[in-house]
Amino acid sequence: MKNVKKNKIVVSVIIGLMCFILVFTMFIQFNTIEQTDLANIATMRETELREELAKWNTRYEELYARYQEDEVKKQEYQNSLGTDTEASDLLENELNETNILLGLTDVTGPGIIVTLSNNSNKNIDAYDLLELVNELRLAGAEAISINDERIIAMSDIVDINYSFIVVNGNRISSPYVVKAIGNQTYLESGLTAKEYGYMDNIIKGNGKTATLERADNIEIPKFTGKLEMNYAN
Amino acid sequence: MIFFAIILGCLLGIIFGINAPIIPYSYSGYLAIAIVAAIDSVFGGITSVLKKNFDLKIFVSGFFGNAILSILLTYLGQKLNVDIYLAAIIVFVGRMFTNLAIIRRYYIEKWNEKSKKQEK
Repeated sequence: MKNVKKNKIVVSVIIGLMCFILVFTMFIQFNTIEQTDLANIATMRETELREELAKWNTRYEELYARYQEDEVKKQEYQNSLGTDTEASDLLENELNETNILLGLTDVTGPGIIVTLSNNSNKNIDAYDLLELVNELRLAGAEAISINDERIIAMSDIVDINYSFIVVNGNRISSPYVVKAIGNQTYLESGLTAKEYGYMDNIIKGNGKTATLERADNIEIPKFTGKLEMNYAN
Repeated sequence: MIFFAIILGCLLGIIFGINAPIIPYSYSGYLAIAIVAAIDSVFGGITSVLKKNFDLKIFVSGFFGNAILSILLTYLGQKLNVDIYLAAIIVFVGRMFTNLAIIRRYYIEKWNEKSKKQEK
């Protein structure tokens, strides 16, 4: 009888203990689930963390690839920057040279000055000037001006009604001062060749007046008109 | 006496459980499956009591054994990348329903007998 009672007590205690354990764990679980913030990384499930990690990994890889690309680009830019200064120097030199050749800069140098003027019998006409420019070019003149009108590739020298002369679209009048920079000896001898030279043949032969002198520091101004191409390209 | 022990155990469990610290979320899955296994054991125990073949050893070993085994299986499933805990839940919950059905039938039959007696 006593044994049965003891047995009953043991069973009760065991059952009670099991109930305690069961309810205890259940409430722990309830609390855990309730208090767990799913967005909180510290309590995330392993799989969720893995997914998140994979996501961030791919993002990182993408960004890293972009970073690499940018880095390469930067390197390229830097490389080209180094060569760019050289290139721009070169270009600037070229531009300067081209400007000088085109006649877009003021130039100075040794050369000759031919002064043609109307006299009482004969006027200087455009053909005299054209011929002179042609002769000067043949003799190697590097820069020519007539009354400070720079003669360039596009320059015009024309008579208007045989009454006045237009150079570069600007009217000029006597005396016509033609300046040319170049080798003084070549220029002078080219013009003063006997009989068939310009000074003898064209000027004296036609009874016109012109003087020729050497000058060591001739200043020739730049071309001041417009240089535009509308049809040729 | 036994009912008293059950109620006392439950009350103490609630009091201690509410004040207990929470566990890491990653372990809560294991705890959940253990709880399901334990509840299954409890229903199995009640059924066996009603069938009058209750054995304390079987009950206790089933209670803890199933819980621990289910935890181990869940862990194994995680390592194998197979959701073994799903199988455990299906088995436990299925058994729970079976046991609940047995308990329900038992009490309905009892109630029916009672009402029949009253009619007589």
